[in-house]
Amino acid sequence: MLQKKNPVDFAFSLITALASLTVIVLIGGIFVVLWQESSLSIRKFGVIDFLLSTDWNPVTESFGAATAIYGTAVTTLLALLMAIPAAIGIAIFVTEIAPDFLKGPIGIAIELLAAIPSIIYGMWGLFTLAPIMANYIEPALQKSIGALPGVGILFQGTPMGIDLFTASVILSIMIIPFTASIARDSFTLTPSVVKESAYAIGATKWEVVKNVVLPYSKLGVFGGVALSLGRALGETMAVAFVLGNNHQITTSLFDAAATITVTLANEFTEADTDVYLSSLFYLALVLFALSFIVLAVAKFFLLKAERRYSR
Amino acid sequence: MNVEKRRKVESFIALSLSTLAAVFGLFWLVFILSDVLVHGIGALHPGLFTNDPAPPGISGGGLRNAFVGQLLITISATVIGVPVGVLGGTFLAEYARGTKLARVTSILSDIMVSVPSIVIGTFIYAVLVKPLGHFSGWAGAVALAVIMIPVVLRTTEDMLSLVPWTLREAAFALGAPYYKVIVQVVYRGAATGIFTGILLSIARVAGETAPLLFTSFNNQFFTTDMSGPVASLTVSIFQYAMGPYDEWHQQAWAAAFMITVVILVITILGRLLIKWRYK
Repeated sequence: MLQKKNPVDFAFSLITALASLTVIVLIGGIFVVLWQESSLSIRKFGVIDFLLSTDWNPVTESFGAATAIYGTAVTTLLALLMAIPAAIGIAIFVTEIAPDFLKGPIGIAIELLAAIPSIIYGMWGLFTLAPIMANYIEPALQKSIGALPGVGILFQGTPMGIDLFTASVILSIMIIPFTASIARDSFTLTPSVVKESAYAIGATKWEVVKNVVLPYSKLGVFGGVALSLGRALGETMAVAFVLGNNHQITTSLFDAAATITVTLANEFTEADTDVYLSSLFYLALVLFALSFIVLAVAKFFLLKAERRYSR
Repeated sequence: MNVEKRRKVESFIALSLSTLAAVFGLFWLVFILSDVLVHGIGALHPGLFTNDPAPPGISGGGLRNAFVGQLLITISATVIGVPVGVLGGTFLAEYARGTKLARVTSILSDIMVSVPSIVIGTFIYAVLVKPLGHFSGWAGAVALAVIMIPVVLRTTEDMLSLVPWTLREAAFALGAPYYKVIVQVVYRGAATGIFTGILLSIARVAGETAPLLFTSFNNQFFTTDMSGPVASLTVSIFQYAMGPYDEWHQQAWAAAFMITVVILVITILGRLLIKWRYK
């Protein structure tokens, strides 16, 4: 491509190369800087002890990540549990059921859910959703599912609306569009010949979706789910409003808790000792490593899916 | 019930559930938007844009400082992030097209797009705020720029790849060096797409709050000095909504309304542009 060495051309290629390297430098830089900043805490608490300790006490300067990791894991998993069926349903509706004139508008409407800033979700969650949760939905859940033996432990306490459950509901609404749009894209890539031959042997629409479209696009759907998981792990403001930032491990979904992101948002500017600040950087490092791995897995699935379709 | 009938009923139930899922998704969108609309419009008044915040508990006051601060930070972030993103995307799609380096970089960018923004905030805090000893608008702008770069880079790369290779060959045949081909032919062909990418990246960072908490922080006073703490709408919303005063909540709703409208308009505009140009 570069036939003659033109000096201006060389300079331009160099500048663009440097610009593209910033991405690699930034990712590497984030790892190195967070590592350095948390070195004090890493030395003091180690790795395993930090991850497993439920202590989070600025007064005694004893810090552990377990409560924050627990909150992150519970809200994320619960959000995925609610979001995935809805997202796949939406993708099926948009690709297989909706009349043509509705496909575009509904697709865009669902994606607008992803464009709403997380601070708006948080504010809406605090002022509108939390009271509805506390007054209607959570008491109803307590009376119905909570009365069953075994699962009652999940629904104990006084519903306040500021808890793991409300946070998970908001998170699930926020991640629906990510899984939905990737699942939709994967569904539309199913060759129509395969679908038509299934219809030709008398399959119903649902059987085509279940036995042809879903198996064919499962890699893409996995990728979409993993991407949503990565988003949910790192979501901050929406959760910060409705989780209460209470460092505890609780079996009830109606209790306040803390996640890694909420801890960072609430305590970063208040950290008054070096160990405190360093431990917060340590939390950020854990979150970064965690989401990097999840997002890399998502990307792996999506690339694999892409390669399969292009064959 | 025979098999035939059961299969039909099963199909009907499954498809109904899918339709319900779509209604479910639309329900939340309408619920959230109408809530922001109703609360926000009621709280809008001219003083919001012309007054600075009043001391806590005293009525009156507006968010002029936050509107101006948000604008300053977002514009600075765009000025820093967009050139880097566009040039980087150019390298991946043109000079490094098809190489392993280009593949790895664009995969890393895709990952970077979804990295938690609060982590980027802590990173900028460590490299810009801590060494300098104070929060600053510039730190906030850089944090947002870091979020923008991979978004702009990836869309630029994709859009440049859509420009037919024969177009470049035609320009090469006239004896044009590659940089001239890129600037005068390729960029022109992909201009709408790149512009849309920039629009969407602005929409993406305009609503960011978490990275600003530790970088530009907040400021009760009107300032255009980016080397000190600068107020932003999003951080003000966080502070006001969490605060105890009704008046604060009102202003937070008004600010939320403004920011939501701007972001949705930019997003929809971007999508329409893409649709109109690449249909």
